[in-house]
Amino acid sequence: MTAHGVGLMARQEIRTRLRTGRWKTLLAVWFVIVNGLGLLLRLALEASDTSEFGEEGVPMFGGVLLGVLVLTLLVTPALGGQSINGERERGTLATLQVTRLTPGDIALGKLAAAWGTGLLTLLLTLPCVLWPVAEGAVGLGRAAVVLLVIALLIGAVCAVSQAWSALLARSVTSVLMSYLTVFGLLVGTALLFMIGVPLTSERVDHGDHVHTNERTERVWWLLAPNPVVVLADAAPRLPEREIVIDGRVYERTPSSDPLGDLSREVRDIREGEKPYVEVNSATPRSTSDEYSRHDRRDKDDQKSVWQYGLLFHLALAGGSVALTAARLRTPLYRVPRGVRVA
Amino acid sequence: MAGRGEFGVEARGVTRSFGSVQALGGLDITVPYGQVTALVGPNGAGKTTLLLILATLLAPDAGLVRIAGHDVRQSPAEARDALGWMPDTFGVYDQLTVDEYLAFFADAYGLPKQERPRRVRALLSLVHLEDRLGQPVHALSRGQKQRLGMARALVHRPRVLLLDEPASGLDPRSRIELRDLLRSLAADGAAILVSSHILSELEEIADRVVLVDNGRTAGDHAMADLTGAEARVRWRLRSLDPGLLTTTLARVLDGQAGLEATADLPGGAEVGPLTEVGAAALLAELVAADVPVTGLAPAGSALESAYLAMTENRR
Ligand SMILES: Nc1ncnc2c1ncn2[C@@H]1O[C@H](COP(=O)(O)OP(=O)(O)OP(=O)(O)O)[C@@H](O)[C@H]1O
Ligand SMILES: [Mg+2]
Repeated sequence: MTAHGVGLMARQEIRTRLRTGRWKTLLAVWFVIVNGLGLLLRLALEASDTSEFGEEGVPMFGGVLLGVLVLTLLVTPALGGQSINGERERGTLATLQVTRLTPGDIALGKLAAAWGTGLLTLLLTLPCVLWPVAEGAVGLGRAAVVLLVIALLIGAVCAVSQAWSALLARSVTSVLMSYLTVFGLLVGTALLFMIGVPLTSERVDHGDHVHTNERTERVWWLLAPNPVVVLADAAPRLPEREIVIDGRVYERTPSSDPLGDLSREVRDIREGEKPYVEVNSATPRSTSDEYSRHDRRDKDDQKSVWQYGLLFHLALAGGSVALTAARLRTPLYRVPRGVRVA
Repeated sequence: MAGRGEFGVEARGVTRSFGSVQALGGLDITVPYGQVTALVGPNGAGKTTLLLILATLLAPDAGLVRIAGHDVRQSPAEARDALGWMPDTFGVYDQLTVDEYLAFFADAYGLPKQERPRRVRALLSLVHLEDRLGQPVHALSRGQKQRLGMARALVHRPRVLLLDEPASGLDPRSRIELRDLLRSLAADGAAILVSSHILSELEEIADRVVLVDNGRTAGDHAMADLTGAEARVRWRLRSLDPGLLTTTLARVLDGQAGLEATADLPGGAEVGPLTEVGAAALLAELVAADVPVTGLAPAGSALESAYLAMTENRR
């Protein structure tokens, strides 16, 4: 595998992609839809004006990014979902395989092209993503981290789609499987978590009555691969602001921050739900007491979740590339069903 | 002769099955440098499977396969550098232009950048597509695509050429040009293996013919043996009195096994396989029996006869 081979394959793929279909039209439509939705969200926020301090930038940023994440992930399977079997169907794959290009060159080059196209769709969403940044509502650092996470997630989904296209003979099936994978990550993980909570909850017998304790810390990891969770949890926290009420100074995070809210939610889930206890109450301190200061303040000791999710996605991507390369290896020993080598 | 070993292709005892279907069952073939070897056999005989194995795309279940001296399983990369392969059906990148297509493969085969444009032009004139330079591939006709595929197979100057039915879809002139191209490549020392169903053409292209049936080598002949005076072929007879010709033939051939006359031809009959000596003797007998014979000529070729003899038992 060489950089030259990967580059050659990527250039070839992008060139053939750009010349098929109406890419410019599709991208223009995408640009209008995403930014139009962002603008509408903004107008809706301004009209309702529920956020404090007249600050619509924060909820707009969160809402737009969650929307952008879901939309780009829905577009991504179409980018790499038929890169291998489509080429086989058109009868061009074998002519590639007899050249000096290695399976790694082909797999990584095609992945780079698909990922590049995915990043282009992300690039086109920047106007409405960067609006709150330009307003000063959200720091550039937060925007950069969030965009980087989306970029990585797009790459992971591209890699998985490509692996499906290498595994399955028909491109229709592989694109379908890619969409199901995205659906599974976005919705399936949440469903599994919801099913997992009652299954792992604890029955506590108080003698006169029985009480079940939800032990979400046992199943939080089901939520970790969810792209929405990864994105929200990885986003750096907004700086806390000081509020003065009755002469006392409270620190609280800005309200209506969808990313921050989601992140606090999953971190609570990871810790497991504890009964609400007054911070300075006289109840004897048990080991679980340190978890009990429950308010809308950020807790420094809260463990983050995103690194597990990102690690999962990176492992998934790595495995997918390896699988794709393995399926491209020749000479072929076992010919998959329904495949004619050439 | 150039290169390691005397054979461009050496395959011994090659077997390959797809599930329960045995496509190759112990096939042997050698392709010497400087010659064109034809691969002939009925549909499903395993020709394409063999060429895929030789092209390092498909692994044999058993057997030894060497391309230009390189074992395809141990060193497929070296084998690939030495071989040019043209599949029976293939796609082209429709979005590219003709020269972009060839330049891409030149790059993929590791040709130096400064050499590529020159190589592409040389290849296009070799397959008579030079006037298509800069035109999109999707605008090419089927035969032109076939010729472009031929150019692709030659892009890295391989010394072993594996062609699966290269003449299909070509017009008569292009076939003659293909024949001349293959002959000149062989004269330059390349080892060429061509599979084809057009036997009359192979007779002009090939030096040797390997017959394949049911995944096995069924015959290996030098073309000179098949086309010489000793070759046994079928002969076509014409007569002014077809009825008399038929009855006389039936009487004359009665004792000889393996010779049946086909009488349903208008104004004539077909007999064979016979050598030239046999045909002359038959003619003498017919003339002696006062049959007004107006013509005696070989029907089809020796290769065709050998092929038909091989496939006869399956009818
Ligand atoms: N991928 C595959 N899966 C299952 N069977 C296969 C596969 N490829 C080839 N075969 C079988 O192997 C046998 C040989 O096929 P092959 O394509 O090599 O024949 P061929 O000699 O090239 O025929 P033709 O003259 O029609 O091109 C056939 O019976 C075919 O059905
Ligand atoms: Mg074939």
